[in-house]
Amino acid sequence: MAYEEPVKDYDKIVENCTCAFCGSNCDDLDILVKDNHVAGVRHACRLGASKIMEDEDQRLLVPMVRDENGELVEVDWDTALDKAAELIAGSIRPVFYGWSETSIEAMKPGLELTELVGAVIDNQATICHGPTVQAVQNVGYPLMTLGEVKNRADMLVYTGSNPMNAHPRHLSRYTTYPKGFFRRRGRFDRTLVTWDPKFSDTAKLSDIWVPFEENGDYGFCNAIRAVLKGKELKQDVISGIPKEDIYELTEKMKNTKFGALFFGLGLTHTLSKQRNIDIAIQLVQDLNKYTKWVLLPMRGHFNVNGFNIFMSYEMGFPYGVDFSRGYPRYMIGETTTIDLLNRRECDVFMVIAADPGAHFPGGALAHLANIPVIQIDIHWGPSTEMADVVLPGTFIGVETAGTSYRMDSVPLYMKKAIDPPETCREDEWIVNELLQRVKNIKEASK
Amino acid sequence: MKQITLTPKKFSSIALEFDELIPDEIYGWSKEDFERYEVPVGNTRFPLTDYYEIEVEGEAESPEEVKLTIDGDAGRVKYIGCKMGAGEIIVNGDADLQAGAEMTGGSLTINGNAESYAGREMKGGEITIKGNVREYAGTSYIGEWRGMSGGKITIYGNAGKQLADAMSGGEIHVHGNCDILAGIHMTKGFIQIDGDVTRWPGGQMKNGAIVVNGRLERLLEGFELDGIVNDPVVEGREFTGKYIKYIGDIGVNGKGSLLLNAEKNRHHL
Repeated sequence: MAYEEPVKDYDKIVENCTCAFCGSNCDDLDILVKDNHVAGVRHACRLGASKIMEDEDQRLLVPMVRDENGELVEVDWDTALDKAAELIAGSIRPVFYGWSETSIEAMKPGLELTELVGAVIDNQATICHGPTVQAVQNVGYPLMTLGEVKNRADMLVYTGSNPMNAHPRHLSRYTTYPKGFFRRRGRFDRTLVTWDPKFSDTAKLSDIWVPFEENGDYGFCNAIRAVLKGKELKQDVISGIPKEDIYELTEKMKNTKFGALFFGLGLTHTLSKQRNIDIAIQLVQDLNKYTKWVLLPMRGHFNVNGFNIFMSYEMGFPYGVDFSRGYPRYMIGETTTIDLLNRRECDVFMVIAADPGAHFPGGALAHLANIPVIQIDIHWGPSTEMADVVLPGTFIGVETAGTSYRMDSVPLYMKKAIDPPETCREDEWIVNELLQRVKNIKEASK
Repeated sequence: MKQITLTPKKFSSIALEFDELIPDEIYGWSKEDFERYEVPVGNTRFPLTDYYEIEVEGEAESPEEVKLTIDGDAGRVKYIGCKMGAGEIIVNGDADLQAGAEMTGGSLTINGNAESYAGREMKGGEITIKGNVREYAGTSYIGEWRGMSGGKITIYGNAGKQLADAMSGGEIHVHGNCDILAGIHMTKGFIQIDGDVTRWPGGQMKNGAIVVNGRLERLLEGFELDGIVNDPVVEGREFTGKYIKYIGDIGVNGKGSLLLNAEKNRHHL
């Protein structure tokens, strides 16, 4: 990699900004501003820095509506908002999906709009940590803050996740490398363990790598729990791991002072889905009979956890909440986005701050291509190609301030560093406008 | 006896919800009442007559005297027989999600396949499914510790993943094969599977009994061998032949019984 000169040509530094990329929400970023543009970012990882620096690339700048020839044409805000409101007001099974890359402030009118029209509101948890939320509802949530891990943890286990690629500062800022109050020597005072079928970049840094077989998570955790209860293992190899290694690992986990287990989609999306998390949580509960152990899901987007917290607080259900009968309902497989699309039920789809075009399975996308799609986003992406109405928003944490929740459920207020493009509007304003316009249509039709 | 027959005439890709059309509610309804009734579809209600030809014969004094027949495919009709307490419902085709959920009595017969959550939190009555069921038959609500607590579900086809999660009573008989984690978190009740099982029946089970008459691929380490039993009697039911009996899941100090047909499961000995 070529050496790059540090950025020296800037007007001002906006200190302590919060990164709007992954669930680590690093809040120590310095954004260098020149002529109301981001000239550089300090302290961010490559992923966070490139998102902030290349913000203007492929940017959606004006509202657009798809014409009868199938082309997106530029229109004024009133035309685009009216068109979107008309689609929403006339729908029978609308789904409002996304919300994980916008602020809590934008979710509030979004929920009001959902309730008004009897829609389904859902976020990216439906395709990532949804099983985690279900397991937490079943067996509890032995969580902590990342500050506790930094100051106390002497054993860190990453499973089904690869933070060196997906949450690059997680190890250096919160868990493995920082010097903590009780871990004065940083990395040297900690044991890093990775349970992963793949020899990932995180596994390469680890002291212990446990390569259990794919889909072996449940059987592996069950075996550790059996050992903790004093059972002698009968099979020589369990989920691809020799039983001697399981005894040794269990002993090490029992003899730490403070252990933390972090898990990602490798655990939530293998064969036994939410039951992997269920048994991992119960394993952590068992380990607490010997020493202190905690657990935390590695949330992806910077506010995916925020949506779950917001919805649980407001409606009692974390995601996939259906208001079609006038009251909230939550049933995995029935009121969740992918199922509604695969079953071809949804008739109007609004996507805000998400890119289903890039992430959804083929069957769901095939249905999305056949129904009206409203997109509220800042960048042109695969979803824009399917969108019938495009409403350009602003970048939370860079152009607009707002609240988000870090993966350990700590709320952070994200500062703004620059002004948004004149033709764009804040997500909160757009959703509020839609709410008012749908209200007007509903009242007029009474 | 009141015989109500609904014959489909129009398909809706947005599922209809039939939770209000249970014998307990409709035993006093005349044909005109059915024709006036609007069925929930998404966030709206549409007349039932848009979707069904309705025939009503006879009179009923109580829900027990009602026989409701959906004479065709109901693959997009959710909540058939949901919370029903008496009477009879017959579906001559497939049924959608939540068939017989929270049922307390009466009988529901599905002469086709059933989608997920059939018999969720069932408390009584009987569900018979002639075809296959998808995931979570006889299961609990998300986060709830008590799933199916009474009644009987008979599945003549295959059952999907996580059958009878957190079962706390009642009986399930699967004539076909079963996927992973049948009876997970089970505390009471009885599951009989006549076909083959892929993996891990009884994960985190505390009590209750599971009998597998087919071949089990993978057993969890949480189960301790209790011995070989001849002609066991499990929960009052007699089985003939040799069975391998395990007790588990010891991860949760469980005392549940898992019996595997010894002939077909020699590889576990």
